[in-house]
Amino acid sequence: MRLPDLALVSLTALAPLPAMAGVTEAIREHILPAVEDFSVAAGDLAKTAADDCTAETLRPAYRQAFDAWMGLSHLSFGPLETDGRALAIEFWPDPRGMVARTVAGMTADADPVVDDPESFPEVSVAGRGLMALERLLYDHALSGYGAGDYNCRYAMAISADLSRMAGEILADWREHAELMRTAGAEGNARYMSESEASQVLYTALLTTIEFDADQRLGRPMGSFDRPRPTRAEAWRSDRPLRNITLSLKALRGLAVTLSDDPIPVTEAAFDRALATAGALDDPLLSGVETPQGRLKVEILQQQIRAVGDATRAEIGGGLGLSAGFNSRDGD
Amino acid sequence: MIGRRNFIAALLAGSVVPRLSWADAGSPAILGAAREGDGGYALFGIAADGGDCFRIPLPARGHAAAAHPSAPEAVAFARSPGRFAVVLNCVTGEVLTRLVAPEGRHFYGHGTFIAGGDILCTSENDFGTGQGRIGLWSRSKGWRRVGEIPTHGVGPHEIKHLPGDVLVAANGGYRNHPDRPGVKLDVPEMRPNLAYVSPDGELLEKVELDKDLHLNSIRHIALGRDGLVAFGMQWQGDPALGMPLMGLHRRGEAAVLDRMPVYEAVAMRGYVGSIAFDAERRRVAISSPRGGRVQVFDDTGRHLRAIEREDVCGIAPATRGFFLSDGLGGLMRAGEELHPLAKHRGRAWDHHLVPVMV
Repeated sequence: MRLPDLALVSLTALAPLPAMAGVTEAIREHILPAVEDFSVAAGDLAKTAADDCTAETLRPAYRQAFDAWMGLSHLSFGPLETDGRALAIEFWPDPRGMVARTVAGMTADADPVVDDPESFPEVSVAGRGLMALERLLYDHALSGYGAGDYNCRYAMAISADLSRMAGEILADWREHAELMRTAGAEGNARYMSESEASQVLYTALLTTIEFDADQRLGRPMGSFDRPRPTRAEAWRSDRPLRNITLSLKALRGLAVTLSDDPIPVTEAAFDRALATAGALDDPLLSGVETPQGRLKVEILQQQIRAVGDATRAEIGGGLGLSAGFNSRDGD
Repeated sequence: MIGRRNFIAALLAGSVVPRLSWADAGSPAILGAAREGDGGYALFGIAADGGDCFRIPLPARGHAAAAHPSAPEAVAFARSPGRFAVVLNCVTGEVLTRLVAPEGRHFYGHGTFIAGGDILCTSENDFGTGQGRIGLWSRSKGWRRVGEIPTHGVGPHEIKHLPGDVLVAANGGYRNHPDRPGVKLDVPEMRPNLAYVSPDGELLEKVELDKDLHLNSIRHIALGRDGLVAFGMQWQGDPALGMPLMGLHRRGEAAVLDRMPVYEAVAMRGYVGSIAFDAERRRVAISSPRGGRVQVFDDTGRHLRAIEREDVCGIAPATRGFFLSDGLGGLMRAGEELHPLAKHRGRAWDHHLVPVMV
């Protein structure tokens, strides 16, 4: 009689708690690899720039770094939010045109801060990161600089700053991962219960699905009477559709690892949206200006919203999570 | 024990009805409404260490409460546009009365006591005209409605009172109608203001922000030192603009707006759900459940720090810091660091924590 009891006890002790299994898997298979990839890509960008900061040389490394950034940009809590890192890495959306204004101000004044790596992190977030670098590399009025010119040194400073932030994010994520794994443990003020770690990942997942539909697609769509293709994300470097595809792939990775149960409906919804994005021959989303092109973008938008519905039902339902008692309520 | 002693003292003093105090309700520091694990709703009295002092079931989802300054009585408001509020005895849990908004009015979810606790003021909408009203209810006359005064604006939300019973109303600027719950009307034309109103309804001072801020709905208020009023706003335009969301005003002076780093302003998603000063009234905090953020400022609007916390919304004064509550059932004290006080499984704290003054 005693033996089975003991066996039962030890089995229970060994079995991972339901909410934590997905978190551990998401950290190991989704988050840390993405954070490491970004730190490598940003490091390559900085090394390339240190050797030769001219636009033509730097563009491939910029594209690699932006691609890698799309693998983790949805992790909008903890390490990415410290000191506004996420916006310092990618200042978008930018309805005020702050990137253009800040970059113009820096170059007009030939602000010497670009030669001082210690002080450069104090530059406004709009004058740093991938969007400021995009201006220098792809805006024809700015990109024709030669080695040693101000813009070249500015591009070098942005690249080094990106590499620094990517390194800090990697170091912080290794610590933060431990906080998430020990959610609910005595003394863990960040995650007060086991379910809070999965809740944060679930919220990041849902928020970014909405961001892809409402911002990445919604901004260039504008209104039917007034489409705004130049409000698309990173259109100067041909990235609007590419970023949506990369974002959906990253979100799919998070969804699959986070859920403890199979999520066939959510996976099918992701695959449908990814197939539509893959078949959309409109990298800049400039088709929003024609009725047919707009319809295609609208279909993609609806399919991304369907991913959100599937996620709520399958993953939220499965983990017993819901989004925002207060954040979805007004007043 | 204290309750019993008070009870005996009251009897010895010869009162016909023994007068109860907040100590008889367990000396709560704050009140908060929550949804519970079974889907029901309740109002909780919460001690400074985060423990429950009392729990009184509510008929529907709550928004905020008004605590009587001396008697252990609380008025729990339904979410806007509700037509009912309940007055609760926090010692016995009994419903003392139900306040019903008069024909053509609905409550906006906040209230405050003036006249030494005898008059309850409730923020209301005259939804025929869209004009804001403050309903006046007399506790000593059996909670009868004894009048109403204008808020001098549209869509009032939180109201508070300064010494001398000067009322401060946050007139949010847009209209609502009970037939269309959750829909904001006339947003493009909105002109929010902060209005100082005498108890007889006279407009003493009205603060409007610059025209380019007219989409910033002034909704919540906290009171600082020497007549300082802090107000929290909700931006009805593009949240990515990172507009100011907190202002400070003192009568006769110009309003000062917050100075947040742009990345913190953007992280707030254009939304402030709650605002409070700390117990010393030196620092003021605003919360955004949408951004999962609390921002702390000094009393000149200088940004001090950000606190990240999922679905955080309730804020109340604590000694050298703030009590915070969230939709995940967490209750925390934020001083220099964040200290968890309690985590109730299945409990989701609603928008506001209300301090009990004793």
